[in-house]
Amino acid sequence: MSPALLTLVQGAIVVALAPLAPGLVRRFKAVLQGRQGPPTLLPYWTIATLFRKETVVSQSASWVFLAAPTAVLASSLLAACVLPLVSRGGALAPLSHLLAVSGIWMLGSVFLVLGGLDPGSAFGGMGASREMTISAFLEPALVVSLAALAIASGSPAVDAMMDVAGRGLLLRPWLLPAVGGLALVALGENARYPVDNPATHLELTMVHEAMLLEYSGPHLAILELASAVKLATFALLLANLLVPAGLLRAGAGPLAAAAAVPAAIAKLAVTMGGLALVESGMAKLRLYRLPEFFFGALFLGLTSLGIGLMAGFK
Amino acid sequence: MNAAAVARSIAPDAALSPPDEGRLVVPVALGDWEAAARALHADHRLPLDLLWATDDRAASGSFGLHAAFALDASHEWIELVTAVPGADPVFPSITPRVMAAHWYERAVQDMFGLTAAGHPDPRRLVHHENVPPGTWPLRKDFPWDAKLPWAAEPHPLATVEGEGVFQVPVGPIHAGVIEPGHFRFSVAGERIITLEGKLFFTHKGVEKLLEGRTAAAAMPFVERVSGDSAASHALAFCQAVEAVARCRVPERARVLRVLAVELERFTMHLHDVANICGMGTGFTLLAAGGFRVKERLQRLSARLFGNRFFRGFVLPGGTARDLGAPELDDIEATLDGAWAEASGLFQIGLESDSLLDRLETTGVLSRDAAWAYGAKGIAARASGLDRDSRRDHPHAAYGTLPLRVPVRTEGDVDARVRIRLDEMAQARALVARGAAECRRSQGAPWSAPCEPADGDALGWTEGWRGQILDWVRFRGGVIDRAVVRDPSFCNWPLFGELGPGNIVPDFPLCNKSLNLSYSGTDL
Repeated sequence: MSPALLTLVQGAIVVALAPLAPGLVRRFKAVLQGRQGPPTLLPYWTIATLFRKETVVSQSASWVFLAAPTAVLASSLLAACVLPLVSRGGALAPLSHLLAVSGIWMLGSVFLVLGGLDPGSAFGGMGASREMTISAFLEPALVVSLAALAIASGSPAVDAMMDVAGRGLLLRPWLLPAVGGLALVALGENARYPVDNPATHLELTMVHEAMLLEYSGPHLAILELASAVKLATFALLLANLLVPAGLLRAGAGPLAAAAAVPAAIAKLAVTMGGLALVESGMAKLRLYRLPEFFFGALFLGLTSLGIGLMAGFK
Repeated sequence: MNAAAVARSIAPDAALSPPDEGRLVVPVALGDWEAAARALHADHRLPLDLLWATDDRAASGSFGLHAAFALDASHEWIELVTAVPGADPVFPSITPRVMAAHWYERAVQDMFGLTAAGHPDPRRLVHHENVPPGTWPLRKDFPWDAKLPWAAEPHPLATVEGEGVFQVPVGPIHAGVIEPGHFRFSVAGERIITLEGKLFFTHKGVEKLLEGRTAAAAMPFVERVSGDSAASHALAFCQAVEAVARCRVPERARVLRVLAVELERFTMHLHDVANICGMGTGFTLLAAGGFRVKERLQRLSARLFGNRFFRGFVLPGGTARDLGAPELDDIEATLDGAWAEASGLFQIGLESDSLLDRLETTGVLSRDAAWAYGAKGIAARASGLDRDSRRDHPHAAYGTLPLRVPVRTEGDVDARVRIRLDEMAQARALVARGAAECRRSQGAPWSAPCEPADGDALGWTEGWRGQILDWVRFRGGVIDRAVVRDPSFCNWPLFGELGPGNIVPDFPLCNKSLNLSYSGTDL
């Protein structure tokens, strides 16, 4: 399998499995809370249904509103292609420089914010302002955590960080805080507890969903898919950092590619189970408490980075 | 001081009839209206619990204006009455002195066309911008089925302007399955500066529809004023009807009524705690578990009363049916099971720092504000106002059953949750005592004839949300005028106090902690 094909296969697998991630977390949460819950595959149906529905656009919205979902999806897809999720060493792997990756996600956030602001509704504006505040706190934490891993792997590419994943982490325990910081960033970036509540109907408390309120039809489907892809990306990245097994390499045959799918599903299931545990056992943080959460993530990353720099660990 | 002594001190010359059914009517001249109200409220520290108007032009050529003040210490009410001339329907507003009157007087302006002279905020309240000027629906000459042309009257909401201040309009249609209400927030960033609600979207003319009906025909309307308080609204209204009819309700029926009202209280408090802790903060485990347990109580209601909302049981003269030993066992077993499971569940929440961090210091209502606005029920008791109509104005069988009224002083969402938990334990104890009482009096009568002819009376109870106070006047066996006051009417304006200073995403939590009824306010 050539590196280019590897990247394509990875992108296809992640997109195909992405709606499973929110489906799984909803299912696990329902089980944990003693509810029956919706079908696990419901997000697939939701997205398919939305694609068939008509789009209603506010009269005060401009082309930005209509273009934003595509840009958001592009950012999610690009991140899903460059990062080591089901394969390593793909054609786009050199693009996975930690600053590039955080920039790609930031780009998605910016377009989401623009899309939320554009129609001029109160909730979109509120969600946009909150999203920008959160992004400003999350970005440094993401960069610092990845930088700590980069010191260990000797390369700023996230793809190369798989060298120090799994057993490598146990050999370098000073990296564990950075992985913890990355997990906290993942909660924030994906609008999960304790930062945001993806299941709420309370408009006044929403962050991510508030920016989506004005969207309908295919545009909403694209945004739903984009956030599912982003959730799956973070889930697989974190899972691979802990257990880098089952990653496709260049030269792998079709059989290996087929085996990568159940491995990815297993990783999604475990991370979503953990997410469901977090989301069932606590309340959402008060909005003004969020900086404490983000600084926690930042300092976890800084701890690893500091130890790594000072001790010159390789 | 009892009611008679207080009345003598404020109106030495008034011709007083002896107190009747816990109520003393004190007629005053229109010119003395404001001074009398001020003396009762400011000098005697009596809370205003109801203010209403009547259209008496057919009999006397004037409108009646009534205000009920509570003497909790001596278990009495003072009803101030004055006449507002029909030709010049203007009365002095008491709102500058008795702030709790502010919404009542605006409602009287809208519904009767009486002008509250000197009201600091005389905007429309019940009427929206589409109601033409000169529409006074509760006047006798206004047909109940009148079709109104569409108007575009000014209906401004209080807002703040300035650099960096934004208006956030919310509703009337919300994302959740709740009733319609519009809220206008003025915010600087996330901080709420002011907020005002626009309610009365579900105005359905209940008070008008009650006129001309018999007591029995009125019950279905009264029970549906607020669907979550069917039993307590029925109880308050029935007691007013029974007071007019001079009906002695059998002892057993009084205890049975307490059972129904306390079951309703337990059910709704269970719902609220689950809703506040679960949905309000996102601790969904508590919501999922709490709503599941609540379902058992609604099914209990279905088994006992044939519907899931404690309706149709309390009727004028007694109850619709007797409850036998198997049903009493069912009630106790269901309640014990629900309490065991719910208290364990809520314990998880109350031991969670993340939940307490959301509840504590959120939506603080000061004691002074609660007093000034005339807050009712849980909102008042969580802010240090020790009032409970079950103890202060004993009715049904509450005078004979032990009742400890939980009061807290923090005034925040956490205090309102804990008051509910305390009251759930109380409700369970009351039901246990009541059920024992019912087993003892098995076979005793549980209904008496109740034929109201002429006269008026107050009726009240402490519903789960707070004090329900009704006034009803019968003429020739049918209702001439009925006032149904849900505590929500008194508590809605509190949001103007407890909202500002909080951040916007905490407002749903404040809202849920009061859980006010739109329908019960809009009537």
